Amino acid sequence: MDNINLEKEQQLADILSSDFTRLDAKVVRERRVEAVLKSNDIIPSVLLFAKDKLGYIHFSHMSCVDWLEEGEFEVIYILWNPEEKINLLIKVRTDRDNATLPNIDYIWRQANTYERELREMYGIEFPGLIAAKEFILEDWQGMPPMRRDFKTKEYVDDHFFHRPGREDAQDVRETIANRSGEEIPEFAKKFSRK
Amino acid sequence: MGFFDLKGLLSPLTGLQQFGRKPHTLTYTKEAADRYRGLHYNKLDQCIGCGNCSTICMNEAIDMIHIEGIEGSKGDSGLRPRVDNGRCCWCALCVEVCPTGSLNLTKDFIYVTDDADSFLWTPGKSNPDAEEKISFHSDVDTSLSMYQRVPMREMDGMERIESFAEVVLGYNDEEARAEAQRCISCSLCTEVCPDHMHIPEYINAIARGENEEAIRIIYDNNPLPEMCGKVCTRRCEDVCAIAVRGEPVAIRWLKRYATEQAKTADMIKEIVNPKIEEPNGKKVGIIGAGPSGLTAGYYLALRGFDVTIYEAKSHGGGMTFYGIPKYRLPYESINKQVEYLQKIGVKINFNTRVGKDIQFEEIYNQYDAVFIGIGFEKPWTLGMKGEDLNGSMQAVKFLEIINEGGTVDIGKHVVVVGGGNVAIDAARVAKRLGADVDIVYRRRVQDMPADWEEIEGAEDEGVNIIPQGIPIEVLGDKNGKVKAFRYAKAEMVPDPKGGRPRPQQIEGSETDIECSTVIAAIGQEADYSFFPEEIKSKINFERGRFVVNHETKQTDDPKIFAGGDAVNRTADAISAIADGFKAVKGIEKYLLG
Amino acid sequence: MREETTTIYLGPQHPGITGNMMIKLQVKGDTVMKAETHIGYLHRGFEKLMERRNWLQSFTIVCRICVPEPDPNEENYSRAVEEIEGREVPERAKYIRVMVLELARIASYLLWYGGQNGSAGLYTMGQWSVGDRNYILDLFEELTGGRVYHMYIWPGGVRRDLPEGFADKVLKTMDYLEKRLDEYDKLMFENSIFQKRAQGVGIIDPAKAIEWGVVGPPLRGCGIQSDVRKDDPYEVYDKLDFEVPKIEGQSDVWARALVRRFEIRESIKIIRQVIEKMPTGEVYNKVPNPMKWIVPKGDAYVKTESARGEFGYYMVSDGSDKPRRVHVKGPAYVHGISLLENLLVGENIADVSFIMNSLGTCPPEMER
Repeated sequence: MDNINLEKEQQLADILSSDFTRLDAKVVRERRVEAVLKSNDIIPSVLLFAKDKLGYIHFSHMSCVDWLEEGEFEVIYILWNPEEKINLLIKVRTDRDNATLPNIDYIWRQANTYERELREMYGIEFPGLIAAKEFILEDWQGMPPMRRDFKTKEYVDDHFFHRPGREDAQDVRETIANRSGEEIPEFAKKFSRK
Repeated sequence: MGFFDLKGLLSPLTGLQQFGRKPHTLTYTKEAADRYRGLHYNKLDQCIGCGNCSTICMNEAIDMIHIEGIEGSKGDSGLRPRVDNGRCCWCALCVEVCPTGSLNLTKDFIYVTDDADSFLWTPGKSNPDAEEKISFHSDVDTSLSMYQRVPMREMDGMERIESFAEVVLGYNDEEARAEAQRCISCSLCTEVCPDHMHIPEYINAIARGENEEAIRIIYDNNPLPEMCGKVCTRRCEDVCAIAVRGEPVAIRWLKRYATEQAKTADMIKEIVNPKIEEPNGKKVGIIGAGPSGLTAGYYLALRGFDVTIYEAKSHGGGMTFYGIPKYRLPYESINKQVEYLQKIGVKINFNTRVGKDIQFEEIYNQYDAVFIGIGFEKPWTLGMKGEDLNGSMQAVKFLEIINEGGTVDIGKHVVVVGGGNVAIDAARVAKRLGADVDIVYRRRVQDMPADWEEIEGAEDEGVNIIPQGIPIEVLGDKNGKVKAFRYAKAEMVPDPKGGRPRPQQIEGSETDIECSTVIAAIGQEADYSFFPEEIKSKINFERGRFVVNHETKQTDDPKIFAGGDAVNRTADAISAIADGFKAVKGIEKYLLG
Repeated sequence: MREETTTIYLGPQHPGITGNMMIKLQVKGDTVMKAETHIGYLHRGFEKLMERRNWLQSFTIVCRICVPEPDPNEENYSRAVEEIEGREVPERAKYIRVMVLELARIASYLLWYGGQNGSAGLYTMGQWSVGDRNYILDLFEELTGGRVYHMYIWPGGVRRDLPEGFADKVLKTMDYLEKRLDEYDKLMFENSIFQKRAQGVGIIDPAKAIEWGVVGPPLRGCGIQSDVRKDDPYEVYDKLDFEVPKIEGQSDVWARALVRRFEIRESIKIIRQVIEKMPTGEVYNKVPNPMKWIVPKGDAYVKTESARGEFGYYMVSDGSDKPRRVHVKGPAYVHGISLLENLLVGENIADVSFIMNSLGTCPPEMER
């Protein structure tokens, strides 16, 4: 639909961009506005501003994406304005090594749960966060498991055994290549069906 | 509301009326719904063992295994799925991606065992009687297999007979990627490809947009892929898993797309960048620069052999150059690839006919091994009256003259006899020369050995096909010039031996077509006149073809290897390329041990 | 009365929830002084699993995040993929999706009837409603092939069109249910035992509710008319006529029960409209071969109103054949932890399960 009016969304993006210099805001679509912060120090002030001045009183979601290849975590705060009916996505990036972000559970108490999970699953520290260390995991010693360099498959192979009886499984590609005498060159194998 | 809230105490008591109602009773076991996702059932005879179910299974619950009594064949890996019911989550994605529709789920949902290992369940074998209980299944509309091919853009039928410009326009990037995405990478196709090209791999590379990788994979065992991408007989597409219920993946067009990305010989060299081994001091002579000779030459050169090819004509490519019309395979496509081989170090002596410009013995003595890759140049004749009239000719000769840039006076009306690709080629060329064309073929159109796309192409261009017509005679005028073609109508009768139906002449149905030219396209044979009797007597021939070792292509004379049309009966380029490729290994083994 | 506190470990198995979760209660007498939610009993790592499964394989995982009502997960997953990819969904599929979502809501509320009354000791109601829920599961079985895990709403539309005569069966079931709801009222809402148990218990401060992240029936029980179907309409909800309840009351368990009582009837109303308005046509805009299906780089936040409240998915694609990140936020993530821990303080031990049920606490969506 072309006739969607994005005026209030644009307004929000403009306000955010003009109030914070280290912030890029843009309209994603109807009811979705995105703000990318270029500095992590301003997280609390942006969130407080959104909550107290702009009416984004509902804290919907807080998520993390591991951009392993770029060496960064991206953390996303998602707020909701029940009057304007707009979701504001606030995105920040932090170094994967010694990842640290400001604690915000004094702004929304439920953020405590999210931060607790991110600490456990990604190893992001939130100085000042008061919560039990263990959340979902128990006696976990290794790398925080939601990090992308945590190898699920290898972990499973190391910790569990495979039920016997399936060793006679054959690979279709191999079976056919063997039968016809086809020699698949090494460099091509990455394109074979796994 | 006080403590003695009478309504609040009495209202719940109305529930007592439930006792007066007829209970809803279900019988054990309840019959499941028509879409129920219960235990698997596989129609073992319809399954082709492509393994797509095993690939999609997100629980890794499906293994492909060998089942006693089911052996692999062309278009069937011979493997069948086995489900670990302890892992299965009944999402039925295996059913959704099954290209043949052989795998289904049934209404059965009760399975009790005290043996934990009997959770391994081979659908169809473990429950042979479950076919009538099939519930969740896929059809062409609901299946996730993509049955429709991305259409190939072509020049309009009436426009293309104006010139010899290439008819097929090729896929663009977007079309190629979309078409490549249809492939399920099962690799059934690789087995029927005479050359066993790595089809799933290069298609996957195209699907990911990595065209250069695709080119490298293709050149691994085929140095003439652009030619194959345009005119291959593509037996691979016949066994495509998608073709069981839909249109096969356009493997040929995808290869064409990939190879066209390297626009010049230099670009091919840059992309393929093959490793050329140090010269090993061995010399190999090759007779004929057709597909088999060029292939042998290329891979021998890469392995450090000193290779010289002797070619009677002025261009490389053999029958693919001289026999295939240019609207299917332009000069540049072949020349580019021949040029690339020369850049790799293959020496080609053009215009050197063995037996005339150089004697076979000379080559035989001069080289450590000889590869014979001569084509079938000598056409068969119809063996009927009037064939020697002026205006009666053979298709191969006709095509060769046209491809060499010569002219043939064919007049206004041409009759082509035959139903193979050569016949269609001759007809479409004649059409481009401005004649009206009839093709007379003994059997039905669906029996024609020619490629269906070629037949359709001919029809689009206005070629008239007369099926079930048995040639009788070519009639001439008083000047010895072709005047008409006489044929008889045939009816198809069942073959007593159970073969395909045979044409049987209908008495008194002779018909004459007035025409200026009759072109016969019913087959060719090789010309071995260059071969000295002494060597010829040492080598076994069968029906005009060399008898060779299947794997090494070695003839009875250990020094002589042979491939291409002179060896195999399929008489297509890809078989010739496969022969060349195999001969390289044979020669390597013979000379280097 | 002794002054020291006692620690009670409630759970991980108990009647307040569907799933396993433990609450560590510090009690003085039978009054809760402090509550701590402990989860981790059914962590299956769905979000992690999806990192190594392709876009279609992952679709079969998400429904497992919620047993009583898997469909909002499928809906969210599909809609997020469609939003990132820009994939169109046929109109008919949208109507079918709404029908499925509302049927799931009814089934979920019927299960809630059982849980809410069961935790108050009123078992008859639970037998009835769970029995009637089976009629809806029968419908699901016929439509999707599965009673509990439907795996029906998928990117691009729905898996199969309605079977023949299905709409009539749905309407018949709705007629039956409507009659039953009146009987439920007599057994439950007019029952003074339930009234006395529910009223004045588990009160959420309406002024703080939004800020605390309360959503769904608990929020509407505070008198706040908030519903994703109205506030951020998806599929065809903006073309349907239904109401969001305005509950005047104490924002206690009773108010939340009234919300559900009202909404189950609204859902029946929606289903009737959907069947009436449903256009003919395709139900599925086919995705490419699932093994080679690549979703372009991008992210999306989508939400669906589930029976327990706003269900949000934040999904990211890095332009490959597998999702980069699927983050699931179920309403229980807030309701069952930060809200519950605060709400239980000062309540009676006997009311703990009762309150948990009124919030729709569901551990699988906390752990994913």
